[in-house]
Amino acid sequence: MELDDLRRHWRQPGPASEPATLSTAELRRVLARQSDDVLAKLRRNAKVEMAINYALLPLSLGMAWLAPVLWVRLWGGLLALIALVCIFYFHRKLGLLRHMSDPAGDLRAYLLRLTTGLRALIRFYYRLTLAMLPLTCLLMGVMALTTTTKAATPTKIWVIGAVLAVLCAVIYLPTAHTTKRYLHWLYGQHLDRLEAQLRELDDVPTA
Amino acid sequence: MSTAPSADFLAALHDYQPLVRRVCRLYCQDADDRQDLFQEIVLQLWRAWPRYVPQPDAKLSTWLYRIALNVAISNLRQRTRRPASVSVEDEAWHLAQPTEASAYEPEETAALYRAIDRLSDVDKAFVLLYLEDRPYEEMADILGITQNNVRVKMHRVQEKLRRQLVHK
Repeated sequence: MELDDLRRHWRQPGPASEPATLSTAELRRVLARQSDDVLAKLRRNAKVEMAINYALLPLSLGMAWLAPVLWVRLWGGLLALIALVCIFYFHRKLGLLRHMSDPAGDLRAYLLRLTTGLRALIRFYYRLTLAMLPLTCLLMGVMALTTTTKAATPTKIWVIGAVLAVLCAVIYLPTAHTTKRYLHWLYGQHLDRLEAQLRELDDVPTA
Repeated sequence: MSTAPSADFLAALHDYQPLVRRVCRLYCQDADDRQDLFQEIVLQLWRAWPRYVPQPDAKLSTWLYRIALNVAISNLRQRTRRPASVSVEDEAWHLAQPTEASAYEPEETAALYRAIDRLSDVDKAFVLLYLEDRPYEEMADILGITQNNVRVKMHRVQEKLRRQLVHK
């Protein structure tokens, strides 16, 4: 038996359990549900996280502006900086996800859009994580300097700075490695599968 | 997004539901997975609908095939699909088909369905469009490759199926 034979009765209705056509009311119910799509879930999460950062920004700025104690002000300033970086990250992420989520267009273009988008998302997340490392070290330095009762002498500042710089350098490689592994675990399977499909479609037969 | 779909979208979807069902039938053997995929395709069609611009040289069915296949093949749904297994109900349905419509034995039809199920998702797209009687020009348009490429790949897929049926 060949495909041509199957084609003759292909358009017959499916299994009895499968409704041939849903009514308008049933379609409305289908449309009211949330998507199971991973990209839709990532978009929902990114929106929530961005809203949290938007809420944190005025709070931390207020802390930096109004706090009577110097170290609280410094903390507020650094938190505001981190919130700004995160807001920038989530805006970029949402833009990328929006671009990737559009299923219109031919299959090849769609697979290409998904793979390039996913790669960009991974690259961006990786860079942000590594950029957060010196920021965190700076935050720790400020904390170490400001929470002590003794005055910060230039020697003490240099020592804390040197210790944090060394610490930052030491944890850089494990952080980079762990982040890469985490991202591969999170998106690697999807990316490999999509790229294999794209290769399969692009494979120009030599027959 | 608003949960009030426009009347023209609902009308179009009503007409093309069997098409979407057939895409789901080819990509999912499990009834629950099939229903999930159907709902996801319908959702994505609704989201893309505001950007759909009817053109004189482009059919609505082409646009629908594109979205349905893009969703089915990219498989970015949260739920992990179970390994391909033919349910008893589906098997019974597949077996029942040829008795009315063709001169072939039910087992031959079931074997062909099993062979199709073993193909890659991309190859299944060629099979689907072939079964749907789409011309090579439209297949090329839906898949984003040249007509010549479609012709050669279609030939390869048919060869794969023949080989599988011989070695079953």
